[in-house]
Amino acid sequence: MTLAGMSRAVLTFVVLVLLHYTLRPLLGWRAPIDFLLLAVLTVSVRMRPGAAAILGFCIGLIADSLSPDTLGAGALGMSVVGYAASWLKAVFFADSLPLNALFFFAGKWVFDLLYFIAEHRLRGIELVQQVMIWSPLSAAATSIAGVIVLVVMRPLLEPSVA
Amino acid sequence: MARAGSANSRLDRTCLVVCAALSLIALVLPPPVREPIAGWTRRTLLAPMVMLQERAELSRRAFLDHDTIMRKRDSVALRGMTMTALNAENDRLRGLMGLGSRLRWGFVPAEALHGSGVRDEFGVTLSAGSRAGVQRLSPVVAPEGLIGVVDNVDPTMSHAMLWTHPDFRVSAMAEDASAFGIVQANIANGPRTYLMEMRGVPYRTSIKPGTMIVSSGLGGVYPRGIPLGQVVGETKTNESWARTYLIRPAVFPANVASVMILRPDRASQGVDNVWSIGAVADSTVRRIVVAGDSMARRAALAEAQARQAAQDSVRGDSLRAAGAPIAPSAPTHDSVPVRAIPRLRIHRDSVNHAHLRRDSTPPPPAN
Repeated sequence: MTLAGMSRAVLTFVVLVLLHYTLRPLLGWRAPIDFLLLAVLTVSVRMRPGAAAILGFCIGLIADSLSPDTLGAGALGMSVVGYAASWLKAVFFADSLPLNALFFFAGKWVFDLLYFIAEHRLRGIELVQQVMIWSPLSAAATSIAGVIVLVVMRPLLEPSVA
Repeated sequence: MARAGSANSRLDRTCLVVCAALSLIALVLPPPVREPIAGWTRRTLLAPMVMLQERAELSRRAFLDHDTIMRKRDSVALRGMTMTALNAENDRLRGLMGLGSRLRWGFVPAEALHGSGVRDEFGVTLSAGSRAGVQRLSPVVAPEGLIGVVDNVDPTMSHAMLWTHPDFRVSAMAEDASAFGIVQANIANGPRTYLMEMRGVPYRTSIKPGTMIVSSGLGGVYPRGIPLGQVVGETKTNESWARTYLIRPAVFPANVASVMILRPDRASQGVDNVWSIGAVADSTVRRIVVAGDSMARRAALAEAQARQAAQDSVRGDSLRAAGAPIAPSAPTHDSVPVRAIPRLRIHRDSVNHAHLRRDSTPPPPAN
């Protein structure tokens, strides 16, 4: 990746992180949009799987620090999702919005699955309800937001052809 | 080439395994170890983000609470408007109670039931009738002055002709009895001018604007001394032999809700000093309040002076105890009044003494 491309990816990453801590609390939805995961996914497909795993780990750990009881759960989820996204980047490099939407949806759902299993806070029917109802809804919202972000920031994310 | 790719893959997998292992370790860390790590992250890396999140949540709360706050503000504003009306009604009722206590006997309290008809500005229905002792031609008064006269009586209610009625007349005079005349509604400029006019004032008599006009007691219907209004100025009429004065009425009937109906026996006994006593009592209360304030100011001043004197004496004693020479200090503003009090007394005594001297001086020899 060129320096310009890296700068654009970093800028997109920062914007998404900022949206996570400004727009998400402002909306206050029960099934919230996970801009942090979108940021990790957007950057991961432009990195090597190992680096994506490390990035996911760092971002997850920082996010987990707001709830110390589950410190590590988000880091685990983000590491795995980041690694997988980078590993599958050949598939999702296609310029297809539905495919990218599926990518965001699956990424968020897998992350939630790992997170709620790792944190051990929800059990039984509550865990099932969360994973089968709220997580898909949140994943759908995240997917839609991801598609919008891709459409809006496409000029920034894709290098101009000389 | 293939070996390099394989090495990279192995490195990537190693990174993933290490990250996953660290995550799992973080999950199983005991709280005393976990909390410092999370705390450090919150205080450093995450602090700006937490601040942003806090602002966003405050904004959301403000947005959600906007409607509730607006509803509360509206209800408070509405209550405030009602409060003004309640305060006005309280003042009016207090005035009515004051008038009742000054009249002492011979009156019937009643509610003025204003209608909304065309002729309601000339009359009003009262909630007391003949069973309560109301009779025809009983004067109707308010704490501010005369409202009208009862012209129709039923057992449980009555009707009063207001002073705004074109047929209403009352014999009146200036408060100092320097001029007499007949007061009626001023309808020369239309029936809704809501002013009175005092007609038939002798041409040689002049009334200054602001003079209070009261009922004169002539005619036997209205007792002497009920306020009617204040003179605004003279108005020109066709009558060349007498003056006519415009009067700002003491009572606007539309604003009156509670009234007193004077029974004929009370009216025949007179209401002298009932309204003037009210004015005197008000001014007396004001004077007492002012005097109380000045006494409180004097007491506070005396206390401050005493405190200052005590501080001065303590300072002087401590300086003496330390053996320091005490220089005569310039009098401060605080210390002057303390010493001035006895001096004032001396002055008063000396004044009396001077009077004695004057008395003791031998009278001039009578030649």
